[in-house]
Amino acid sequence: MSVIRHLSNDGKELTISIHGKFDFNLVNDFRRAYSSIGDEKPLVYIDLRETEYLDSSALGMLLNMRKALSDNVRGIHIINCRPEVKNILDISRFDKLFTIE
Amino acid sequence: MLKPSQQYVIDVYHDDSAMAHALVSTIKQLRLTKRIREHAIERWHAQLQPTHTTLVVTEQPTLELLVALNCPQQLLVIPQTYKFPRHRHWQGDYLRWPARVPELMHRLQLTVSNFNMQRQLSAVRESLVWHTQRVEREYELIEHIFRNALSRNFLEYQHIRTLVAPAAKFNGDLCLVAPGPLGNLYVMLADFTGHGLAPATGALPLSQAFFAMADRSVAIAEMVTEFNYRLHHLLPHEMFCACIVLELSANGERLSYWNGGMPPAIVYSTTGEIKHQLHAQHLALGVLSNDEFDQQVSTIKTTSTDCIALYTDGVIEMLGQNREFFGLDALQALLQKYPNPTQFEQLVASLEKFRGTQPLQDDLSLAVLQCCPTGLALPEVQTELQSLPFTFATELHPVDLQRVDVVSTIVGLLSRLPALHGHRTTLYLLLAEVYNNALEHGLLRLDSRMKNDPEGFAYYYQLRAERLAALTSGSVTIALTYDHSRHYLTCCVRNSGASWQLPEQLGTFDQSQPYGRGLELLQQLAERLEWRDEGREIEFGYQLPPRL
Repeated sequence: MSVIRHLSNDGKELTISIHGKFDFNLVNDFRRAYSSIGDEKPLVYIDLRETEYLDSSALGMLLNMRKALSDNVRGIHIINCRPEVKNILDISRFDKLFTIE
Repeated sequence: MLKPSQQYVIDVYHDDSAMAHALVSTIKQLRLTKRIREHAIERWHAQLQPTHTTLVVTEQPTLELLVALNCPQQLLVIPQTYKFPRHRHWQGDYLRWPARVPELMHRLQLTVSNFNMQRQLSAVRESLVWHTQRVEREYELIEHIFRNALSRNFLEYQHIRTLVAPAAKFNGDLCLVAPGPLGNLYVMLADFTGHGLAPATGALPLSQAFFAMADRSVAIAEMVTEFNYRLHHLLPHEMFCACIVLELSANGERLSYWNGGMPPAIVYSTTGEIKHQLHAQHLALGVLSNDEFDQQVSTIKTTSTDCIALYTDGVIEMLGQNREFFGLDALQALLQKYPNPTQFEQLVASLEKFRGTQPLQDDLSLAVLQCCPTGLALPEVQTELQSLPFTFATELHPVDLQRVDVVSTIVGLLSRLPALHGHRTTLYLLLAEVYNNALEHGLLRLDSRMKNDPEGFAYYYQLRAERLAALTSGSVTIALTYDHSRHYLTCCVRNSGASWQLPEQLGTFDQSQPYGRGLELLQQLAERLEWRDEGREIEFGYQLPPRL
């Protein structure tokens, strides 16, 4: 599985990890990963520690997620970015839309 | 009674007296022995290691004989009339000669059986010594292996303090610390069932997996799944491993943990306030098969004034002077009394004081981690990488475009080159943008505006898949040129399809719009972006920066 999702037992954290390549091939898996988030308004972590490659379609998918979740979550954090991935997110000015750690 | 069939040898040391000859000839007549070996009494000495049952026969024993023959596997034979020196209450065994035949036989039998017992005893003793030495040698080897296995343990990390006290020679507790390449820090405390060598053995596969996975910055959910898989296979049914694994983010603000069967880790502030108890939510490692295993990880927010105390049950079940348990409340009180990690020594001293002279019943481990920004710099590799100039070109037809993941394949090839490996993520992005542009707009004639809403976004890619599968003509040509002296890569992608108009609003695109971002990224990351032949050909250059 390239998309792994964990919703914590108390429903307050949702972690989605992307492995390998993050692009349009994951469009449905990625949507499914945030489709049921419970009623606890979780904090969402997108864990990119094992994301080796991404392209603009991945950025589009992140934006669609943000649009879909905006009022139902406490925030969306993109975490554990490798330096090159961080650089791409910065150039796309994602720091204004997400919390990038 | 001794029987003539018993075959044994007797050594007789004698003084060549008439008494000695009478004794020897009596024994010979009785046919009790296989052989009698006669020696001059001068050849006997106290350090003699007898190889057979030994008789010492003399009319006038010397003092040396009297002292040294006080041992059961040799028999002194003296005349009936001999008087022991006055004031010497000699305890050794002796036979007065002449003696009657039954008594002679009885005494000979006793001496023979004493001799045999003595010989067995020394054989056992020698074998014990040999085994002890062998065990010690093996312990040394095992300690050496453990030292090597744990040589990468990052216990010197400045914000962690640890106490590790094994109850036996080998420790069934394991406290491991490792930095991840993202500046994050992993800490694991594990407690195998029992203590001593057997549980310590489990530390080997666990520590090797831990360090290898920390190097790759693997998430702890995957770490514990791997640990469980390994231990479930390795350990016998009655053995398992309680374990807590933590990951502290590089900024020290996020602490993720998985606790399987360990006592609750305590999160407290340096002012002494107890903030959380991280209770075990899972069974110990090695109990469940991976189908049943729950890898659920929890996360808490932390600040640089927060500390976390990890410990094995050996701490709270430690027995004190009056054989009472130490307990969780006492541990919390102690942490509140010495909340600053610099007071760790005092904390340990208090534990020692409580235990007093009671022996440790179980291995005991305690680790205190302060949740500061880790300050673990990323490993900067700035070596001069040797490289060759190269050109790569490929022309792809529908069958290739359908079958091969083009961008991954090319980047996979490029990243094999040491000079390009560290840039593979950026190279992937650049190549993916121009390739997808050529394929989707040139050959498949898709319109990006379709991606404006989430449904359209998914539909766009569904359409892409359908049209690609149906594609029968057209081609995409990719040419890459690397100038090693300038560390510069030039890329040209051409398609044989429709002309394509560069969007006019480029550079002023709406930040939250889910498309159009690819061109913006190209403009930002690449140089000399050129569109030719009505958008059918794109060329750009990329100056490889020093490794990010």
